[in-house]
Amino acid sequence: MTSDMNRRTLLSTAAAVAGTVAMAPLLSACGDGGQSTGGASTKKGLKTALPSFAPNSSLKPDIPSVAGGADIATDPGFLTYPAQQARTVDGVPGKGGSYTAVTPLWGTVPSPSNSFYQAMNKALGVDLKIKPTDGNNYLTIIPTMTSAKKLPDWLQLPAWWNSGFNTGGLAGTQLADLTPYLAGDKIKKYPNLAAIPSGAWQAGSWGNKIYGIPSYSSSCVVAGTTFYRRDILDAKGITADQITSAADLFALGKELTDAKRGVWAFDDVWTYLFPFWGVPNKWKVENGKLINKYETPEFLDALDWHYKLAKSGSMHPDALAGQEASASTRFYSGKVLISGGGTGAWNLTDQQSGSAANKDYRRGAFDVFAADGTSRPSLFLGNSTGVISYLNRGLGKDQIEELLAVADYLAAPYGSAEYTMVNFGVEGVHHTMVKGVPTFTDAGKKYVQPQTYSFLASCPQVVSNPGADQVTRDFTAWQAANVKYLYKPVFWNMNISLPASLATADAAQSVEDTIKDCCHGKQKVSDVQAAIAAWKSSGTRLKNWLTTNVLEKYGTGQ
Amino acid sequence: MTTTMARKTEKNTARKPSQPHVRLHWRIRLRRDKSLVIMTIPAVVLLLVFNYAPLFGLITAFQYYDPLVGVWHSPWAGLEQFTTLVQDSLFWGALKNTLYLSLVQLILFFPIPIALALLLNTVLSERLRNLIQSIVYLPHFFSWVLTITIFQQMLGGAGVLNQFLRQHGAGTWDIMTNSNTFALLVTSQAVWKEAGWGIIVFLAALAAIDTHLYEAAAVDGAGRWRRMWHITLPGMRGVIVLLLVLRLGNALTVGFEQLLLQRVAVGHNAADVLDTFSFYYGIATNNYSYGAAAGLFKSVISLLLIWGANKLAHFFGEDGLYRR
Amino acid sequence: MSTAVPLRQRRSDKRPVWEEPPTAATTTGKSAALTLVAAAVLVPLWIIVVTSLSTQAAVNRAGGLVIWPDGLTVSAYREMLADPTVRTAVLVSLSITLVGTGVSMVVSVLCAYGLSRARSYGHRPILTLLVVTMFVSGGLIPTFLVVTGLGGYGRYWALILPSAVSVFNILVLRSFYAGTSAELIDAARMDGAGDWRTLWSVVLPTSRAVTAVITLFYAVGYWNAFFNVMLYMPTESQKWPLQYVLLTYVNRGNGLPGSVNSGFGNAHAETAPLSLQMAVVVLTLVPLLVVYPFMQKHFRTGVLTGAIKG
Repeated sequence: MTSDMNRRTLLSTAAAVAGTVAMAPLLSACGDGGQSTGGASTKKGLKTALPSFAPNSSLKPDIPSVAGGADIATDPGFLTYPAQQARTVDGVPGKGGSYTAVTPLWGTVPSPSNSFYQAMNKALGVDLKIKPTDGNNYLTIIPTMTSAKKLPDWLQLPAWWNSGFNTGGLAGTQLADLTPYLAGDKIKKYPNLAAIPSGAWQAGSWGNKIYGIPSYSSSCVVAGTTFYRRDILDAKGITADQITSAADLFALGKELTDAKRGVWAFDDVWTYLFPFWGVPNKWKVENGKLINKYETPEFLDALDWHYKLAKSGSMHPDALAGQEASASTRFYSGKVLISGGGTGAWNLTDQQSGSAANKDYRRGAFDVFAADGTSRPSLFLGNSTGVISYLNRGLGKDQIEELLAVADYLAAPYGSAEYTMVNFGVEGVHHTMVKGVPTFTDAGKKYVQPQTYSFLASCPQVVSNPGADQVTRDFTAWQAANVKYLYKPVFWNMNISLPASLATADAAQSVEDTIKDCCHGKQKVSDVQAAIAAWKSSGTRLKNWLTTNVLEKYGTGQ
Repeated sequence: MTTTMARKTEKNTARKPSQPHVRLHWRIRLRRDKSLVIMTIPAVVLLLVFNYAPLFGLITAFQYYDPLVGVWHSPWAGLEQFTTLVQDSLFWGALKNTLYLSLVQLILFFPIPIALALLLNTVLSERLRNLIQSIVYLPHFFSWVLTITIFQQMLGGAGVLNQFLRQHGAGTWDIMTNSNTFALLVTSQAVWKEAGWGIIVFLAALAAIDTHLYEAAAVDGAGRWRRMWHITLPGMRGVIVLLLVLRLGNALTVGFEQLLLQRVAVGHNAADVLDTFSFYYGIATNNYSYGAAAGLFKSVISLLLIWGANKLAHFFGEDGLYRR
Repeated sequence: MSTAVPLRQRRSDKRPVWEEPPTAATTTGKSAALTLVAAAVLVPLWIIVVTSLSTQAAVNRAGGLVIWPDGLTVSAYREMLADPTVRTAVLVSLSITLVGTGVSMVVSVLCAYGLSRARSYGHRPILTLLVVTMFVSGGLIPTFLVVTGLGGYGRYWALILPSAVSVFNILVLRSFYAGTSAELIDAARMDGAGDWRTLWSVVLPTSRAVTAVITLFYAVGYWNAFFNVMLYMPTESQKWPLQYVLLTYVNRGNGLPGSVNSGFGNAHAETAPLSLQMAVVVLTLVPLLVVYPFMQKHFRTGVLTGAIKG
C-alpha cells in the first residue's frame, strides 16, 4: 500500500485478472460453448460442408458404448491394452515441412528438444515445434498474438473461450478454411479424422465452413455432475439410489454434517444441480418462442433450494467463502462428502491422489433425478467437444494437406500403434508394458504431456484408466445409467454470431453475480428476481435478435 | 582525514524563510540547468515511448470497440459509454465501496508502517533489529491467493479458531464472510501483508537523520518523546507527505486482486470496487469500451485528486510532489 | 581539490550515554509488540514450509495447508530443482535482474536528481509528465502493440525497457535528494563541481540508504516479474525467467474446465499440487533472505552532514 506502488503490484494484479478469466468457465460456461461470435451455420449449408462419418472400429471395447437419442452415446470403456498394436497410417504422414504449434498446457512445460518430441517428429516426418503455453493465461496470451497477427501455423483454441478469442472473427481472416480439404467424402483421405463424429466438426464450423479440428470429442458430454465419496457413504450404508429427490439430498446433507469433527456434507454444487429442476441450459423453445432460463419458474425453485442449502449449515464454510482451489483437497480429506464438478475429474489421477491418504477412496456420482422425485429427469447434452485446433490462413495448400495428414496420425484410434506413440511415447524409453498396460518411465512422465499433440487432434474419447479399472467401470456405468435422460439443448453445437452491442445482455453479469451471491446465502431469491427484472429489457433485445437471426433462419439445432 | 561537524539542529525542523524569488530569463535558467534537464531525458523518453504512445488506446472508451477490427476501425459511440456509466447503479455502488475502503485503510493502515519503523528504530540490538526486519517484510512476497488462504485457514468458519470455539461449546465467530466488517478484514489483511514492506522507505529516512542531533537535543534536556517529535518525525516528514499525497491520489485504487478473491465470500455488493467493476462489467464480458470508459473516469478523478492533495500539502507548507 | 566527504558512523549496540534508560513498562510493551508482530509472520511461514515438505497423504489428511508435520518428503523440491528448465531459468532471471536493475537505477537516479533542485528549468512540466503516467494508461493491448511494433516480440528488452521507469521510485529518490543539505551542494559548486560531479560525489554518497532501498525495489520487481513474459514470449519456454517457470508448477492441474479430462495418461500424482505451490513460495523467498542483509548494512549507517574536507 504505502510504499508499494511499484511494478510488482501492478503485475500480480494483471495476472490475477488473467487467472480469474481462466477460471471463469469452470464455474459457469461449461455448457455455453455455443454462444460465440462468428457466423452461424445453416443446417443445409452445413450438410454440404461437414465431413462424412466413417467409424473405424478395429478394436472391440471391453465396455461397449450405449446409445441414447440421436447423436448421443456413451464413451466406450477399455480395461485392457492390445499387445499387438495395429498400424492405421502407412509410412510417415509428413513430407519434411517445418511448423510451429501452440497448445495451452495446464502444467509444467517439457524442455523444447526432448526425446519424445524428437521421436514424434521422426514418426510424423515433419519438424513440428510444439510450444506449450501456460493454460491459465491463455485467454490473455492469444488475443495479444492475434492483435499483432503472430499466430503460429497450428493453434489450439479451446471453445469455451471462443468469445474471448473472437474465434468466429478469426475464422477466415487468420485461420484457414478446411472445407475444401475435408467436406463430404474428401475426408476419406484421412480415415482417422473421418472417424470423428459430425457433431464435433460442427463445433468447429463457422458460417457453413469447417475450420476446426476436434480433439477428445464425445457424444456424452455433460456440463458437470454431483459427486460423492462413495467409500464413506457405502460405509454408512447409504447408496446413491436412495436419493431420488431434492428433499432427500437436502436431508442427506443434514445427516452427514458433523461440524465439530470438521466434516460438512456439501462443497459448492452450484450450477451442476440446476438441470434436476428442469432448468434449460440457457434457452428453451415453447410454441416456437424462445424462453430464457431466467424466465422459467423452475429456475427460481432451484435457486431457492440452493439458498436454503447455503443457509442450512451443511455447506463447508470454505466453500461458502469461495475457496475453490482447495475443493479437491477437501474432498480427498473427507471434510466434504458431496461436491459438484466436471466429469473429466473422474480418472486415474484422481484415484491416485484420493487414495494417497485413504486407500479405500472411491468417487461416485448421483444419477440424474428430478427435483420433485416424480417427474422424468432430463439433462442437456454439452457441445461435442471444447478442444479444437486451427491452421493458420497463411499456409499453402500443400502445407495444409501435410498438417492434415499429421492430424490424421494424431487421431489414430485407441490401442493402435500411432495412438501408443502419441499417448505413451516409445516403448522402453517413455513407457514399458506392466501387466499388459503401458506404464510411464520417468522420462515418459517428464516429456509425454497429453496436452500437446493430443490437443491438436485426437480420436473420439474413450474411457481408459490403466491400473484403475474400477474407475473405468464406475464412470462408464454412470454414463450408461444416465444416457437415456440426455437431450440436445436449443442451439446445440451452434456457433452463433452476436453483435458487440448484445454482449452485455448475453453475459448478464449483474444477474449472474446476484445468483452466485444467492447460492452462497448472501442475497435472497427476491434479489435475483429484481436483477432479472432489471436485465429484462436488454434480455428482450437479445431474444428478439436471436429469434430473427438464428431461430427463424437456422432452427434450434436440436 | 579532518572533519568538522556542523551541528545544525534547525536543518530538519525549520525551513529558511524563502527569499524573494527573482525570476531569471528562461535562457539563463536553461543554460544554468542544462545538465539537470539532460539527466531527465532517458526517463522521459522511456515514458513517452512505453506509456504515452499507447494512450491511443484511450479512444476505445468512445467506441464500441471490437478487438478484431482494431482501434482504428471500431464504430464510434461518442459519449454513450459514459452516459450509461453514470446511470449504472452498480458503478456508483462500486465507487462508494472504493472510497469507503480507501478511507478506512488511510486511517487504519497508513500510520502502521511508520509506527513500526519508529518502534524498530528504538531496538538497540542490531542483530535483533535486522532479524525482525527481515521477518516482517516477507509476507509482501506472498500472493494474495496464499494470504487469503492462510486467513481462511486460521479465521474461517472451518478454521483453527472457529474449530476450537466449536469444540469447546462456544459460538463461532464469522469474520471471513461477514459483509458488515469486510472493510476491517480487508485492512487487516493488507496490514499483515504489506506493513513490513512499507517500513523500508521509512527506515531509509531514519538512517538519513544525523544522530548527533539526538545527542545535542538530549544535552539540551529534550526527553524521549520530544526528541521523536522534534527530530525523528521532521526527518521523515518529506517522505511521509509524499506517500500521503500519492495515497490520496490513489484513493480510487484499493486492492483489486484481494477483493476479486473474496467477492464470493462477502457478496459482490460489498466487494465490488472500481477496478473489479471495470473488470467484471468490461473486460470479462467482452464489453471493452465500457471497461475503458470506467477506467478513463477513474484516471481523470485520480488526477484531480492528486492535484488537490498536492495543493493541500502546499497549503500546509509542505512540498508534496514538487515545491511551490 | 576538496570534496564533501560524509562520515559514516556505526551505531553500536550499546546505549549512548546521553540516552535515558527505558522504564520496565516500556520494555515489556515493546517486547510484547515485537513478539506479536514476528509471530504473525512466523506462524504462517511455518505452515507454508511444513506444507511444502508434506506428502500427498499428509496434505489429504489435513484437508488443506498442513500445520503439524505428518509425513514429510522433499519430492516437491527435488522435482523442481532437477528440472533443467528451472536451472536455465535461474540464469535468465539473474541476468534480467542485474541488467534491468542497472538500467533502472541509472535512469531513475539521473532523473530524480535532475528534478530535485528547486526552481530548476523545466522541472515542473517534466514532473507532471511523470506523475500522469501513474494514473493514466492506454491499456494492455495498445502497450503490447507499441512494443511489438518496435520489434520487441520475443526479445529480452521487452521484459526490461517498458517497465524500466517506476515513477514512484523516482519520486522517493527525488524527495531524499531534495533533502540533501543545500550547504553541501553549494560547497561542491563553489569548488567548481558541475551537476554530474555533485551527484556522483556528494548526493549519492550521502544517500546510500535510499539508494539501497530503491535498488531493492527494482531488483525485486524484475526478479518477480512474469506478466511481460506472458505477453512477449509466451511460447518460448527456453527463454523464460524463473518466476514464469515456477508459475507452471503453481498452476499444474488447475484451470482445465471440468468436462475435459485432465488425467489422460498424466500419472504425476506423487507430489500434492499444494506442496508444489508452497515449495514455489519457499523458493521465491530464499533469494530475498540472502540479499536482504546486504541492504540492511546501509541502514545502520547514520550520516554526518556538513562534513567538509578542507
